[in-house]
Amino acid sequence: MAVALRALSVDKRYGPTLAVSGASLALETGKIHAIVGENGAGKSTLASIATGLVRPDEGHVEVFGERLSPHTARAAIARGVGIVQQHFRLIDALSVLDNAMLGAEPVRSFGRIDREGARVKLERALAQLRAKLDPNARVSTLGVGDRQRLEIARVLFCEARVIVLDEPTAVLTPEDAHALYVTLRRLADDGRAIAVVTHKMDEVLDHADEVTVMRRGRVVSTRAVYRDGGRASNRGEQRRALLHDAFHDSDEASSVALPGAGDGDSQVLLEIDGLEAGVLQGARLEVRAREIVGLAGVDGNGQRELVDVLAGLREPSKGAVHAHAPIEIVHDDRQRRGLVLAASVADNAVLGELRRFSGVIGLDGGAIRNEAERRVHDGGVVPASIDLPASALSGGNQQKLVIARALARDDAGRRILVLAQPTRGVDINAARQIHRRIVDAAEAGAAVLVLSADLDELRVLCHRIVVITHGRMVGEALRDARGQWDESATNEKLGARMVAAR
Amino acid sequence: MSARTATRLALEADIWTIAAGTAVAQIAFATLVWLYGDSPRAMTMLMVEGTWGSAYGIGQVMFKATPLLFTGLAVHVGLRAGLFNVGAEGQLAVASLAVGAIGAWLPASTPALVAVPLLVVVAGCVGASWAAPAALLRAVGAHEVISTILLNRVAAALVGLLLGLGLAQKGAVRTPDVVPHARLARLDRLIPSFEGSAVSTAVLIGVATVAITLWILPRSRAGREQELVAKNDEACFVEGIPVAWRRAQALLVSGALAGLASLGTVLGYKGYYEQGLGAGAGFAGLAVAILGRGRLLGIVFAALLFGTLAQGGLAINAHVPAEVMEVIQGVVIVAVALGDARIRSWLTSKLVVLGAR
Amino acid sequence: MSIITSIASVTMLAQTARTAVPYVLASQGGVWSERSGVVNVALEGMMLAGGLASVAVAHDHGPALGIVAALAVGAALGALHAIITEWGRIDAIVSGVAINIVALGGTRVVMRALYQSSSNSPSMTGFEAYGGGIVGRVVFDPLFAAALGAVVATAVALRVTRFGLRVRACGEGPRAARAAGIAVVRTRVIAVAIGGALAALGGAALAYDEHQFQSGMSGGRGFIALAAVVLSGWRAGRAAALCVVFAALDALQVVLQGHARALQDMVQMLPFIAALLALALLSRNRGHAGAPPAGLGTNATE
Repeated sequence: MAVALRALSVDKRYGPTLAVSGASLALETGKIHAIVGENGAGKSTLASIATGLVRPDEGHVEVFGERLSPHTARAAIARGVGIVQQHFRLIDALSVLDNAMLGAEPVRSFGRIDREGARVKLERALAQLRAKLDPNARVSTLGVGDRQRLEIARVLFCEARVIVLDEPTAVLTPEDAHALYVTLRRLADDGRAIAVVTHKMDEVLDHADEVTVMRRGRVVSTRAVYRDGGRASNRGEQRRALLHDAFHDSDEASSVALPGAGDGDSQVLLEIDGLEAGVLQGARLEVRAREIVGLAGVDGNGQRELVDVLAGLREPSKGAVHAHAPIEIVHDDRQRRGLVLAASVADNAVLGELRRFSGVIGLDGGAIRNEAERRVHDGGVVPASIDLPASALSGGNQQKLVIARALARDDAGRRILVLAQPTRGVDINAARQIHRRIVDAAEAGAAVLVLSADLDELRVLCHRIVVITHGRMVGEALRDARGQWDESATNEKLGARMVAAR
Repeated sequence: MSARTATRLALEADIWTIAAGTAVAQIAFATLVWLYGDSPRAMTMLMVEGTWGSAYGIGQVMFKATPLLFTGLAVHVGLRAGLFNVGAEGQLAVASLAVGAIGAWLPASTPALVAVPLLVVVAGCVGASWAAPAALLRAVGAHEVISTILLNRVAAALVGLLLGLGLAQKGAVRTPDVVPHARLARLDRLIPSFEGSAVSTAVLIGVATVAITLWILPRSRAGREQELVAKNDEACFVEGIPVAWRRAQALLVSGALAGLASLGTVLGYKGYYEQGLGAGAGFAGLAVAILGRGRLLGIVFAALLFGTLAQGGLAINAHVPAEVMEVIQGVVIVAVALGDARIRSWLTSKLVVLGAR
Repeated sequence: MSIITSIASVTMLAQTARTAVPYVLASQGGVWSERSGVVNVALEGMMLAGGLASVAVAHDHGPALGIVAALAVGAALGALHAIITEWGRIDAIVSGVAINIVALGGTRVVMRALYQSSSNSPSMTGFEAYGGGIVGRVVFDPLFAAALGAVVATAVALRVTRFGLRVRACGEGPRAARAAGIAVVRTRVIAVAIGGALAALGGAALAYDEHQFQSGMSGGRGFIALAAVVLSGWRAGRAAALCVVFAALDALQVVLQGHARALQDMVQMLPFIAALLALALLSRNRGHAGAPPAGLGTNATE
């Protein structure tokens, strides 16, 4: 076993925030090394530094004993280091083959690409993954699983000996995730060093050989993971140790007070009836007042269409939505759909509501500021300065702002609240605050629909969970009278429904 | 951090930018003169003499600045909505023709109180209508830079065509004189030292227009929403802001303002329209808008600056070609735009630091 | 001759081909630039610069060197445009408009310095006419061949070469390209320089055809070429074809010389009105085949 990649005491600062501080990492060949921590712990940044995408402010990286210099993605790729990122770096308009060979194109005379040679290399890479892809297909036609396979194939195309994957299972069903790890094990056995950045402790315990735990930009510990049946392999103990390192004093599942048992007699505020639009086919759902319903699903199964129809941005080809109260929507992409980042927090806090503040002689600037300050305060947005540009806020605070705006719109508690991926990319404190606000809104009389791929979040937050897959609602999980989830609601079982055949 | 601090910081940033832009203009001037083999000092002195050195010169500077006030404001209104109106040339040409033609067609005894406001409305409406095709095209997805420039070319040919078809006086290539009371008084009637200079009350109308427009924009829903649309149209659309309509509004208003630039040249100077009158104000307006930072004093200053360059260009024309001024315009545009990005990020980080306290 | 016979004649065909050369060259320049992700409204200015450079050099050193001068100047302007845009993080449109303004004024300044006239340069001979008659003049003109060659070379290079793939990657997905280790800024600078050189060559063709350089002689052709690029879905061959259509309308002016003045004014507007109409009718909903490169307008560093 050799040390394929080493990061030595790297620092990285973004403006006033220290994303990574004094972090060290060692990846050995033949091993799967997990990097864990909560959202915002610095895992992705460390991975980016290790693979040359980001230059550290202090410290350096060594690949097979030699310093990585210049510290660029190109140099790292040339040394055999590849990364598969969370947000895929694929070019939709180009073909599978084009994407695979980009940056490492084999050439003939006059700079012409050797397409045949490239195709052969691609096939070899795909064979290692036991995957099949049409080299001439446009990437835009590929589903999520295939895209990830292509990303990995691309890394193998460049003959990578070190492969780092950032949150690879975030978009996969539990079955696909398992298949991925089987592949990774095979690649490791071939002599590569594999690193996986994840926040899922169970994956670490099931598949990793070593784990580095990060918290708030620092490496807290580096441990081995035991599964051999010996004394150190008690799963519960290892889990506790990891959780302790990662979260110090809190449990991973956030401890928001369970919402009270849903009021079965309350009025149905939102009815979705046989809705068809894009991927969505015959979706049916009802949400009552004071009820929090979770819609569990992997991205791309109709959630976007559903939200677009509810938002009035899209006409369904069939079916209807009956809303008996105003609908407020928190979209899943806060940077593109939720906020105008270059505008002030004040402008964002009342985005789209300027008509309310229009008087005879124009806008009432004072009223706008007062309302903005109120929302920022109620939402717990920090720093509470409404003149800052929204881009200056952290992800969690941006999300809090968007939610505060959605919640402030109708004073009466009676409304429909739809939140898509409300805590994606949000640090754990902000996530807890957001969950609290959601629960409060429900208690005040709102019908709440939460769309999320995070089953843990839904299990904490919701009265009931509905699974959506291939555009249909395929299953439901309920709490019993004591508020406990019934047996059918383990993550594995819910996940299995998420990929059920049509 | 209070709103006042934020405003003060923004003002500081703008002042620095304007100062830097002016410095760049001076450096560019000196360099070009030097490349031409002349002494920058001598040329600068000549230029100052020909412009701010005499009352006549000052008057001429103000005269040249007058259309720039309008076109600079026009481009600014477009820019803050995220639109590039490079069609001010065409808009003002067509509007000028309309003002000249209608101004001549009115009954000779029309009182000023009727003629002038009427012609102002004509100028605005015609200017806006020449921007309308670009607004429509933008709504279907064609970028307004291409369409407004194409419209400039069409305007140039159209104006010639219409003059030829009968709008012109017999035997001339200009419209007949406008009725006497439609003309805007020259300032040398009030302030004799401006004697002979072409500056008219149009400059006062210009400054007033800039002041009023800049005051209204942030206080109106349309104005605020235009700014937001420029920064992220998707988020605005999702929250119910009528994105396409706001853009169209901005282009129409921009066209109208560009049309008003005809007041100084047609009504304040010649008293008729001839082809080519007022050319150049469109592109110079872009420079004025970018340098002026959307502030009243900024736009006025920038207009005076480029007016000085234009008038000064005539003074030194024997030594250095006046076209040098156009080159300076382009250089200033790039320099200010370059600085703008830097200054904006400086400003943001300053705000973040202050806001965190 | 009546209007109809003027139009439907070999003369018209030949004149169209001759007129099309600058448009086509400029459009290929636009394709290179925009496919790499850099919006280029400065084709007009690049044509002017190329026209003047070629005439100024050809006057004393012959037409071939004049072409070289044009290419050099165009490449330099293109590189400048890309550098200002990418490195300075300025909106490409601001940079492009500024370059146009500087080119217009700058060419006049240079002409004043060289020839004491800011509107016309002295005459020069372009490439010698090889064949007889108007058709011969066109077909045997090296610049005509260059235009054809540029279309083929652009289309082929983008599809088949490594550089072409990288250019397309920078245009369709700059962040992904960067993650793949491609130097996006450098690739864009080169691509826009190639584009500038082609546009400048178009300007040279224009000047050689008139045997002199006149101030502002590009007359909006650069913008029509850009419109052709946009309307054709950023595809080299189709852009060239559209340019021929616009050129035909432009050629009407020459062919209809001698007819009524008012007619001539109207004809002068035709290419521009046609371009506007085309933009109006064809801008909507073109699907992914006609869509702009996904990374068009985004700086590489974003």
